[in-house]
Amino acid sequence: MMEEVDRILIHALRQVGTEVDEDVDSIRQFTSELLVEGVVRCIRVIDPGLGGGLAPSLPPGMSARFRVGMSLAQACQDVGYKGEIGYQTFLYSSEPEIRSLLMFLVEKLPRESAEASAQPSGKSAVLQRAIAAAIRAQLDLAWVPPNCSLPLHCETQSGGVLNSFYTQPLSSPHCTKGSEENLKEVKEYRRDVLPPVTAQFSSSASMVASLLEQHAAELSAAQEWDGEWKSQGLLSRLTPQEYRSRKLARLQKRIQEQLRSAAQPSSESAFGVSRPASDLMDVLQSFRASAPTEHVLKKGTHFTHTQKFTFTQEAAAAAAVTPILSAQESSGDVQLRQQEELSALQAQFQQLCSDVDHLAADMRRTAVTHAQVLDELKQRELGNTEKEEKLQVKKKTIDLLPEADNNVIQLQSLVEASAKRVVNLASQWEKRRAPLIDEHRRLKEICSRQDLDSSRKLSEIKSLHEKIHVSTEEAKKKEETYKQLLTELESLPQDASRSAYTQRILEIVSNIKKQKEEITKILSDTRELQKEINSLTGKLDRTFAVTDELVFKDAKKDESVRKSYKYLAALHENCNQLIQTIEDTGTILREIRDLEEQIETENGNKTVANLERILDDFKAIRQENAALAAKVKEG
Amino acid sequence: MELSESVQRGLQSLGDQTVLDRCSFPVVVDACFRSLLFSRGDPAVLDLPELKHLDKILLKQIHAAATTFILEAVKHNADKSTISFSLEELTFNTERVETFYTTRRKVSNSIFGPPFSFFFMSSSIGRGPAHIKDVSWRLQYQMKNGQLDKVNEPFYLISLSTETGGASEDVDFSCTAEQLQDLVGKLKDAAKSVEKASQV
Repeated sequence: MMEEVDRILIHALRQVGTEVDEDVDSIRQFTSELLVEGVVRCIRVIDPGLGGGLAPSLPPGMSARFRVGMSLAQACQDVGYKGEIGYQTFLYSSEPEIRSLLMFLVEKLPRESAEASAQPSGKSAVLQRAIAAAIRAQLDLAWVPPNCSLPLHCETQSGGVLNSFYTQPLSSPHCTKGSEENLKEVKEYRRDVLPPVTAQFSSSASMVASLLEQHAAELSAAQEWDGEWKSQGLLSRLTPQEYRSRKLARLQKRIQEQLRSAAQPSSESAFGVSRPASDLMDVLQSFRASAPTEHVLKKGTHFTHTQKFTFTQEAAAAAAVTPILSAQESSGDVQLRQQEELSALQAQFQQLCSDVDHLAADMRRTAVTHAQVLDELKQRELGNTEKEEKLQVKKKTIDLLPEADNNVIQLQSLVEASAKRVVNLASQWEKRRAPLIDEHRRLKEICSRQDLDSSRKLSEIKSLHEKIHVSTEEAKKKEETYKQLLTELESLPQDASRSAYTQRILEIVSNIKKQKEEITKILSDTRELQKEINSLTGKLDRTFAVTDELVFKDAKKDESVRKSYKYLAALHENCNQLIQTIEDTGTILREIRDLEEQIETENGNKTVANLERILDDFKAIRQENAALAAKVKEG
Repeated sequence: MELSESVQRGLQSLGDQTVLDRCSFPVVVDACFRSLLFSRGDPAVLDLPELKHLDKILLKQIHAAATTFILEAVKHNADKSTISFSLEELTFNTERVETFYTTRRKVSNSIFGPPFSFFFMSSSIGRGPAHIKDVSWRLQYQMKNGQLDKVNEPFYLISLSTETGGASEDVDFSCTAEQLQDLVGKLKDAAKSVEKASQV
């Protein structure tokens, strides 16, 4: 039983960092040094501040040892140890005391922190463990001469051919979302021309790298879109397609603006022309640099097509120019003439530039005047139409003038009729208006309600998204921890078998139960006995009282009866004494047993040996003191 | 192992019984593995008589998805349970998962040992320092030189024959006994740290 406890204690002490020898397997074999080291290490783990000041080894001097023992005892009491403790616990150790102290300390050891330090969670820990496992696997391989290495060894011992991570863009046969997927040509291209993805590369290493890269790019794009859609897209209340098209339009607009602002200065001055043009060339160059090598198939976007087109055109032009140049290079005076021509052309170019400048200024001026003239023209035309209307009204009145009275009457009747009609229409309008307004209100209400509804649903959707996100994260984390724990379980040493411990504990518990039952049985037995004794004493008392009375009555009359009464009294007295003696014997027996137990424990404390050791130590202290005194005298 | 949408779609079509029947499924899977390992750059990997009746675009899509999946699995060093879990999530039935896995094993077995071929393929990307293959050394004794009449010091001439990516190269240097001691100590330190790193 105790061996089990001792083994657990020693195991715990080893985990804390105490170097317990292999052959020490019970507390009885602990020396003072080992005990001090173990206790100090435990205290350091429990309370680093408290344990920092304690030395894990015993000093050679006796008085110093005594001091260390005192401070250790104080530290143990500070940690919360309630039992009896002093310097003697460490210097003159007795087994049960050490055991109870160590049990207390080991229980006090912070379990969670130990576990946490043993298994840090998270991706980095998993990665580190994987790295450690890989290194271990490589270390376990035996070295072989390079000439007889297997493929497995290529990896670790002779480094096979390595290729750098070089990717090439590849044309995927998957439909991208957009307008192009419906085009017949694109479909035809995919069906008949596009080679399978693995056939699009020149080497296998770049194939692997490119496929992985493409996949990673797709994943990250999807993730980015997901994040953007959840943060901004949902709030805009558009369908994903609408959101995309709107974003596209916005981007195009911005690009246009940028281009326009970049192109503006070119019209400012003739010499400024060269700068933005070269900028544009830079841009094109950078595009070209990022463009892939020719033999790779490209994704057929419009932009790259035009890009390619211009590029090939340029190349063709360059090719056409070079032979002429090489022909001209042959003679020297041709070069001279060329230079002259060049300077002339440059002058001409300057002239032309200034001409262009002038003309541009002229054009701007004329454009401005043109706009002004156009404005004036519009205004005039407006005035014209107004005047024409007036003219027509006047013409009609002049036509009506000859038969004025008649016409006036007619006009009046007309006016009246139209007034009536207006009134009529107004009443009709009123009739119609009321329901329409009601309808309008109703619709408005519905609208606002739907608005509310939709915003509520939106927030719901958002919270749902968040929940989904959180739970997926959690699930991932849990899965990771699960895997980690699995690997840990596999790597755990099997010697500290849990099931054995639990079985042991269960056995102990059942034993205790049995003992408890027995104890209760004995207790009830004792109680019954007590009851019997009580009832018997009661009966005895009563019988004695009755007999006493009867005999006492007769004793007055008869002498012999009086004698018997005396005997009765004496008998009673003697019996009482007997009982008393028996009880006394019982208590004395109990005391004897107690004392025997005490003697046992004292024997366990190795008192005699300890006393001898104390005497020795006392002598050592005296010697030290004497030596010190001598030193003081010398000094 | 995360998979992008296009890969998921392609694998779903691969697992779909209505798209690929029982005869063509193993052919397609085999073609995918083969295209990664043997017929590099061969555009005719999918031109098989068994697959004539299939839509070519769909076939290419499936091929792209399956090859990407295989490479991702290699990258993550996925074991059988992970692979079958991923495939079952994409509506593969057990029979097809089994076929996929056995094809993987069969194809990789046919060149080297078990899964080394794929391992090889992915681990051939990257760079590493030169490996030391062999060492030869010579102890020389310097008695005097142009400046000093009496030197009397031993020194070592060491030649490490190294290999990077199949190309051999010799690294020559000379050192005194203390320097050599120092080097040996450093090497021991390095070995010890590697050992420590393996015991996380």
